[in-house]
Amino acid sequence: MSSSRPTAQAPRESKRTSPRMRIARDTPRPSRARTPSGPAPSARRRPGRARRVASFWPQYLAISPFYLVFLVFLLIPIVFSLYLAFTSWDGLGAIKFVGLQQFRFLVKDSTFWLALRNTLIIWVLSTVPMLFVSLVLASLINATRRFTAFYRIAFFIPSVTSIVAIALFFSAIFSENYGLVNVMLHAMHLPTVDWLSDAWTIKLVIAILMSWQWTGYNAIIYLAGMQSIPPELYEAAKVDGAGPIRTFFSITIPMLRPIILFTVIVSTVTGLQSFTEPQVLFGSSASVNPNSGGPGQAGLTLILYFYHQAFDNNNFGYGAAIAWAAFLVIVLFTAINWRLVARKDR
Amino acid sequence: MELTRRQAIRTGLLGAAGLAAGGTLTACGGGSSSGGSAAAMTLWYWSGGLSPSVVTDATKKFASQTKLTSSVIGGDFKQKLLTTMTSRRYVPDITGIKGEDMPAMLPDADRFVDLNTLGAAKLKSQYLSWKWAQGMTTDGKLIGFPIDIGPTAMFYRSDLFAQAGLPTDPTTVAAQMKTWDEYFAAGVELHKAIPKTYLVDNAGDIFTAVVGQSGSRFIDSSGKFVGDQDHIRTAWDTAVKTVTLGIDAKINDNSWNGNIANGTVGSVIGAAWHALDIEQAAPALSGKWRVAATPDGPSDNGGSFLAIPTTCPDPALAFQIITWILNPTNQARGFTDEALFPSTPASYTMSALTSGDKYFGGQKTIEVFGPAAQNIPNQYVAPADSAVSAPYYNQLINVENGTSSDSAWSAAVSQAKQIFAQQGGS
Amino acid sequence: MSKRTKGILLHGTLMIGVVLSLFPFYWTVVLATNNTSDVYHNPPKLIFGGQLFTNISHMLSNIDFFGSMFNTLLVAVSTTALVLFLDSLAAFTFAKYDFPGKRFLFGLLLLTFMLPMQLALIPEFEIMVKLNWVGDLRALVVPAAANAFGIFWMRQYTSSAVPSELLEAAKLDGCGFFRQYWHVCLPIIRPGLAFLGIYTFVGAWNDYIWPLIVLVNPNRITLQVALAQLNTAHGADYSMIMAGALLALLPVVLVFVLFARQFMAGAVKGALRG
Repeated sequence: MSSSRPTAQAPRESKRTSPRMRIARDTPRPSRARTPSGPAPSARRRPGRARRVASFWPQYLAISPFYLVFLVFLLIPIVFSLYLAFTSWDGLGAIKFVGLQQFRFLVKDSTFWLALRNTLIIWVLSTVPMLFVSLVLASLINATRRFTAFYRIAFFIPSVTSIVAIALFFSAIFSENYGLVNVMLHAMHLPTVDWLSDAWTIKLVIAILMSWQWTGYNAIIYLAGMQSIPPELYEAAKVDGAGPIRTFFSITIPMLRPIILFTVIVSTVTGLQSFTEPQVLFGSSASVNPNSGGPGQAGLTLILYFYHQAFDNNNFGYGAAIAWAAFLVIVLFTAINWRLVARKDR
Repeated sequence: MELTRRQAIRTGLLGAAGLAAGGTLTACGGGSSSGGSAAAMTLWYWSGGLSPSVVTDATKKFASQTKLTSSVIGGDFKQKLLTTMTSRRYVPDITGIKGEDMPAMLPDADRFVDLNTLGAAKLKSQYLSWKWAQGMTTDGKLIGFPIDIGPTAMFYRSDLFAQAGLPTDPTTVAAQMKTWDEYFAAGVELHKAIPKTYLVDNAGDIFTAVVGQSGSRFIDSSGKFVGDQDHIRTAWDTAVKTVTLGIDAKINDNSWNGNIANGTVGSVIGAAWHALDIEQAAPALSGKWRVAATPDGPSDNGGSFLAIPTTCPDPALAFQIITWILNPTNQARGFTDEALFPSTPASYTMSALTSGDKYFGGQKTIEVFGPAAQNIPNQYVAPADSAVSAPYYNQLINVENGTSSDSAWSAAVSQAKQIFAQQGGS
Repeated sequence: MSKRTKGILLHGTLMIGVVLSLFPFYWTVVLATNNTSDVYHNPPKLIFGGQLFTNISHMLSNIDFFGSMFNTLLVAVSTTALVLFLDSLAAFTFAKYDFPGKRFLFGLLLLTFMLPMQLALIPEFEIMVKLNWVGDLRALVVPAAANAFGIFWMRQYTSSAVPSELLEAAKLDGCGFFRQYWHVCLPIIRPGLAFLGIYTFVGAWNDYIWPLIVLVNPNRITLQVALAQLNTAHGADYSMIMAGALLALLPVVLVFVLFARQFMAGAVKGALRG
């Protein structure tokens, strides 16, 4: 308990006497200090702080169920997985502490670097074109007067479909001998492509899969942003003689910047975590090594590699190391993207 | 009024959530730490791992002593089994273990009941000794009871062979395709005569067969990595030959079924149980397939076991069930129903095995598999064998797609060494 | 360019997009209603066939489709209820009240947003082992509530949708914290709840990797896990797999189309302030 100093009395008094001065966003201002939710206390130490804190019991009670679940099922596992990355464990036996050994393996593991490369390539292939297409799509929908609701629904549906189902039907569409894409190529007398055998086309197929699923979603978000841009801006531009392209780049995009940032961040985080697509695409009964990312392991993403090490090879310690490395990659690229997109605001 | 309706909806939702939580609570009342009391036992196997009719009969036979529930587990069986055993919940009382997974289970033998303590030794003479040994740990504990063995053979389309001017009778085929090179030469002829047909489905199967024919595999019995030695290199080169000769159909995915059915694949080197896969993929081709001896000799591929996890409440009863399901007569039924080649030599003279197989045009396949079973070379399979061999198969697919054989080989070996080190080898 | 031509171009381009967007569903139906041999044909059939029921029955004999769908429904509904309750309450608190440690607690949520959930998989499994929840549907429902997105989203929504004056008035009337939540906040944030509810429901329905790991009881699995098992079943063929995929995605698509308006309005609102 901090010792009470005479000077500390004064600030507290002044605080109590001028509650109206405290505007903490939407905090309700009590005209009578009758209820427990009082003005926000400052970080300064004051006598009786414990009592003050305790007076917020309804708030704490309100958030405690969530935080309890959050603590037990997210925070503690995260901390434990960090610990696991420094151990060697097969899931059945005892956990053995091995220091940095797993990370040393990681650095020397060519498959890990392959997985990293795959993940990054797939992410770039899927995110960059997708966001552009979403922007264009949003502009187009924005320009419609009729059928708008139909378009919005039609484009949004892929994002609520299960990835398992999507991976299954994309594997049918891109199948070598009888997939629809090759059949169409053949019909147009173009050479067919071994979509699911060649290293680059495998990544392309996975990227197409991811793009297909999320383009509409991002487009709808951009659309909403566009619809909240004040029309006066556009009118002013028209008066100034700006054409549609100029308007697009000088007005629409800058106004959409926060939303673009949001979609870039979300796409980065989810794109770098892709797992289900390669796992289901190449998880057939004929494959000798399921969970290996297909021919040449070209579809092996970081998270798929983590799953393979942890649950196929029972190498839980190494799997944890891989997962943490993946996290660092995500943080790195999220930060890079943030700087890239947000910096232009300055 | 709006507020009360809101309240009602909320309460309803919360109530539903509560009910759901409570419902799942009660629904799992039986699943405490083991699969159940001796009054109920669970058996896990995969599709094609046991004959379903034998399992049904076992359920009936032991009904007075226990209620046996069997589950055919889909997906990755080993992962599900290990996850379950780690969680110690819903652990089956009797479980199958695939042949390729058994070596990795042996170090964790204390998770399974030593069947010798239940009197397994008395039955040992009824089973092939090398198969019996595969289910044993180095200190003499028997954790896996043999189901089937996987003697390899060459399954071939006799009608396509005829079309290409190749011999069709199994004995003649075996005589003329005694070595891999002779077999491949015939494949070149086949592909020339019927361009849409290839001799083999993928290079990996050839690799598996040749590795199985040699005396050792990727890790020798002293625990040393030997996956870079000549015997593996020979297997590699043999497999790669199918690619360079253009007789490899390069099928490594779900289209295998369709390609078997439409004649893209002219022959398959596989174990006896593989016949079931062919039959299920191409029922319309009944009578068009035959079986001949593998070039350069047979090997063992697959063939599984039944085991009893220690969580089983009544191992003695479980053992009775196992040994009944796997006695010579029932193993013969397994062959008829699911192409599971018996590990009990006594079955080989039973009519189920000596009569002709309709799918193979009435051929008595025992004439091929029997001698194959007798001549399977003895091999040591290390626990890390499955994990260490994975890169070779991945790299073979790369070779099929154009990578040079040498660079793929070095990549495979270096990756295999890394995995070997990670799995605790040195 | 005349207005009419512009209109045709516009709608034409958009329709191409719609076709690309919806075609895979059409193709799934084609595959699901035909024989595998029709599919492995050159050229393959492009229109619906009559084999739907054959394929469905083949699929049903390989996996417990309706059982797993029921489990999924149970999980999705329970998860949604739990998340809505926990998140709306906590979000209301963050949005409208200050209290010691608020910034720290909220910052903690922000931090975990970037964490891939896969990090927690193994330890979470261990926790489930300790709790004896492995193989139980509870293992799917409760951890799903440990998701920061719902709170972020509801906080944004609540702070702008619920006017402070109303809360003040309620307080003057003698309403304590919880009554303010129940009587003032909840009715107003109903559209936000609708969005979060649908979002959570769809997420729970489509969840794959965690159920794949934790549902060790083969008689109690969810739809996505069962669907993936179709892919590795003995005698798997495309028609059967597609029949399964079709039936699996239909309910969610239907639910979505029915509630599309609310859902998209909500998605948009949250993103705009995200």
